[in-house]
Order: sequence, then C-alpha cells, then structure tokens
Amino acid sequence: MVETVISRHRSFALLAGVVLAQLLLLAFQIKRDHDVRLIRYWAAAVVTPFERGGTWSLGRVGGIWSGYVALRGAKAENVRLRSQLAELQLRNRQLESQAAEAQRLSVLLNFRESHPEAPMLAAQVIGASADPASHTLVLNRGEHDRVRRNMPVITPEGIVGKVVEVFPTTSQVLLISDRDSGVGALLADTRTHGVVKGNGDPVPRLDYVVNDEKVHVGEMVVTSGEDRIFPKGLLVGTVSGATDGQPFQVIRIEPSAHLDRLEDVIILLSQQELAAKKGQESADASASSPNPSGVVQTDALSASQNQNAAPTTSTKPAASAPVAKASVQSQLVKAPSPKALPAPAPASEAPQN
Amino acid sequence: MAYMLNPGAQSEPNIEVHKYYGGAIVLVCFLALVLQAFLHKFGHWAELVDLPLLVTVYFGVSRRNPTSGLLLGAAVGILQDGLSHDNPIGLFGIAKTLVGYLASSVGARIDTENPAIRIALIFVFFHFHQIVLATTERVLLDRSAPYFTFPLLLNSLATAAFGVAFFALLDRLRRTP
Repeated sequence: MVETVISRHRSFALLAGVVLAQLLLLAFQIKRDHDVRLIRYWAAAVVTPFERGGTWSLGRVGGIWSGYVALRGAKAENVRLRSQLAELQLRNRQLESQAAEAQRLSVLLNFRESHPEAPMLAAQVIGASADPASHTLVLNRGEHDRVRRNMPVITPEGIVGKVVEVFPTTSQVLLISDRDSGVGALLADTRTHGVVKGNGDPVPRLDYVVNDEKVHVGEMVVTSGEDRIFPKGLLVGTVSGATDGQPFQVIRIEPSAHLDRLEDVIILLSQQELAAKKGQESADASASSPNPSGVVQTDALSASQNQNAAPTTSTKPAASAPVAKASVQSQLVKAPSPKALPAPAPASEAPQN
Repeated sequence: MAYMLNPGAQSEPNIEVHKYYGGAIVLVCFLALVLQAFLHKFGHWAELVDLPLLVTVYFGVSRRNPTSGLLLGAAVGILQDGLSHDNPIGLFGIAKTLVGYLASSVGARIDTENPAIRIALIFVFFHFHQIVLATTERVLLDRSAPYFTFPLLLNSLATAAFGVAFFALLDRLRRTP
C-alpha cells in the first residue's frame, strides 16, 4: 500500500525530499541569536513537545498513582491514626493533669519545708458537700492518718477551714465561707480584732469591728489565734470592701485561698504557730507573689503597728522547678510520731461577741 | 493541482518529449552559471536577466519529466548559491527545484513551442521564483526580501523577452529523431 502510493507520487516525493534536504542544509548553515544554528532550534522545536508531553504524561500517571492507586490503604490508615490521636489526646490530658498536680504538690512541699517545726499532713480534696448551702469539703485523710476534729486546714495561700468530722479514712472540712464558720482574726495594719464569719457566699465578712476603726481596702486579715484552732499569723485574706453598719462595720474579706477550686490542702496537726524563716526576709520582701508561705511575720506586724507601714510578709516563692510527684508526696505525707502529736484542740468555737 | 502531483499519469500523449545531444544540458547549465557570474562584473545590467532560471525553465518544459526537472533545478540552484558570496547553500536551490518541477509538469500538458506561451511561462516562473526566494529569505534568514517591486517587474519583462530568443537558440541543440 505504501509502496503503491510512493510509486504513484514518486516525483512529488522526490521533490519533497530534495526541498527538505535543502532546507536542512540551509538550517545547518544559518545561525540565529547567540550563534546557535537554526537546525538546533528546529531540533529543539521538534523534540521539546514530545519531551513536554512525556513529562506531562508521566506526571499525570504519577498523580493518578499517588492520588488514587497508592491510597488504597488510606482509609485503614486514617482509622488507625484517628485511634492513635485519641489515645495521644487522652495521654496528653493525663500528663497535663499530672503536671498540674506536681506543681500544686511542689507548692505544698515548699510550704512544708518552710515550716519544719510544725507537724502537718498533706491531703487531697476528694469531695464536697451535696448541699449547696453548706460549704464543706471531704479530704482523703482520716482517723487512720491521725486527723482529729478542729484541726486547721490551710493552703500556702491562706487558711481554708477546720476539720469538723473525722472518719477512719476521710474527714470533712468546714470552709471559712460556711455560715457556721467563725475564725478569730485581726486586721494586720491596725491590729483590730474581729471574727471572720461565713454567710454562705464566697466572700466572708469580718464582724465586730466598730465604725470608728479605719479599714482600708486591700488590708490583710490574719488569724489572731484566739479561737484556739488556727495558729496566730496565718493569712485569711484581704479586705475587699468596708462600709459602716449598725452596730459594726460590714467588712468583706476576699479569701486568699481559692476556696472554689481546692485540690490539695495541708492539715496542721498542732496549733503551733508557724514562723517565717528569718533568712527569707530580705529576699522575699520584694517578691510580688501573694505570700506562698501563708504566714504573716509577727515581727513585721509589730513594726507595721508602730510605724503604720505595710506589713512585711514571708514570701518564699514556690519552687518553679518541677518536683517529682512521688518525692513530693512522700515528704508531705511524713507524719510525726504519735508521741510528738499534740493533743487535739478543744472543740471550741470562735469567740462570739 | 492533482495533475501536478501525478503528471506522468495524465500527460498529453500527443506532446513530444525532446532529446538533446549528450552533455548539452550540462554544458548549457554550466555556461549559464559562468556567464551570469562573469557578466555581473560588467555592470548591473547583467542582473536584468536570470540565465540559470531560463535554462531551468527551458529544460523543464522541454524534457517534460518532473523528476529530471526538479533535479536539474536543484543542481543549478545549488551551484548558483555556491557562486554567490553571501547566500547559504540551498536558497536558490529550493526555488529552482520548485521551478523545475512545475515547469516539467506544465510542459507535459501544454505546447510550449509558441513564443507567446514561452514569454508568459518565463514571466510567471520569474515571479514564482522570486516569491519562493523571498519567502525563504524572510522565514529562514530573517531578511526583508521583497515579493514584488517595479524593478522586479522590469527584470521579469526583460528576462521574458530575452528568454524567447534564448529558447530559440537552445532549440537548435535538440537531437532530431
């Protein structure tokens, strides 16, 4: 067939061949820009589309392969990765929780080390009262841990409440914001005595302060020790507002301890007064953190009374370095020997006027 | 156009195919090239007549064989390029290849012995040759070669007039049957 066509158009084929040969001869001689022969341009023009087409085809084939064929196991892999992601998210939440707990325990350990003379016991909040009007907590420490009634419960930030019920392995704590709570307290600047009473609100009041006393907003309120439950000098909170009333001022106290989100607390096993370390005075005086030791230095209170100056607080900052959780707990749980344990304080309520 | 692609199949049976003495075609072509180059030394008047084009057209229409016509045109054109000082080989070759092919195809169908027809054929092939030449120069050499100008018209007329006499002279080289 091809030979027939060629033979019938032999002269025309010869013409095409001769002209093409001369065109190639011309292209071999002619040079275009950059001294490149025209035949090279033509060769590139002929070959480049095929190369481009080949590249495009290979790209498409590769895209189809990688986008469709190679994704056969993508669904199973997706399921597996989702499961792995869920596990990792759960693990991450656990680690975050443990890190936060370690941080809290670190603060407690720091507090414990600041007062080696006072026997104390770390406890975890495991529950709260089912009655919304009752501000109580349930701790994981009880009679087996030598917890007794009326033992003070504090945090490094401030006092929390007192133990009102003791069970073999748990105990119940009455918060200072409960309407049945009363804590002997005094204003740190004026040394004016009063009673911090709860009223069912998150903000307790300082009662029995006459209208003539000058009370400043932000003034610290500390325990007076008169209730024979809380040692003297523990931080209760700060004055958030004061108005004249009949017959006494209405002074609202912002508790220093975060009563609404307590997780770890300290049970003081004796009424021994907590003393701040002398060596920490100068270094901690400029610290802006709110009194991590929870103890207002007695000397400073006396000085402020005489000089009408703001009291200096012992503010050993909480250790920022992470502390191993097990190590912290082992030190905090260290309870004194039975002989060293003081006798349970008498179940006396706060002084009532 | 179809008869140009297959001229042998449709050629007129009553048109005579002329034969020439041995070496006459080669000698005439050689002399045409030499004279074209030689006469060019004596002035621009020599450019009025394109002798290689005339011999290509003459032997094409006389031999009436497209194959030999295009080969003769290619040979004459390539030699003409070789004798020029700045033309790449193949510029005139392509043009005269096409002229030789078409001349052979036309000569196979019409009687080219008539002087008027010869004038017309020379005139037409002159301008066809120029169009192919200009196109090649424009496309491949990037030159601004003209397709048609008044001097080219005068050249074509002069070549046609001279060609009638030149063809009559070449007719004497035919071998009598």
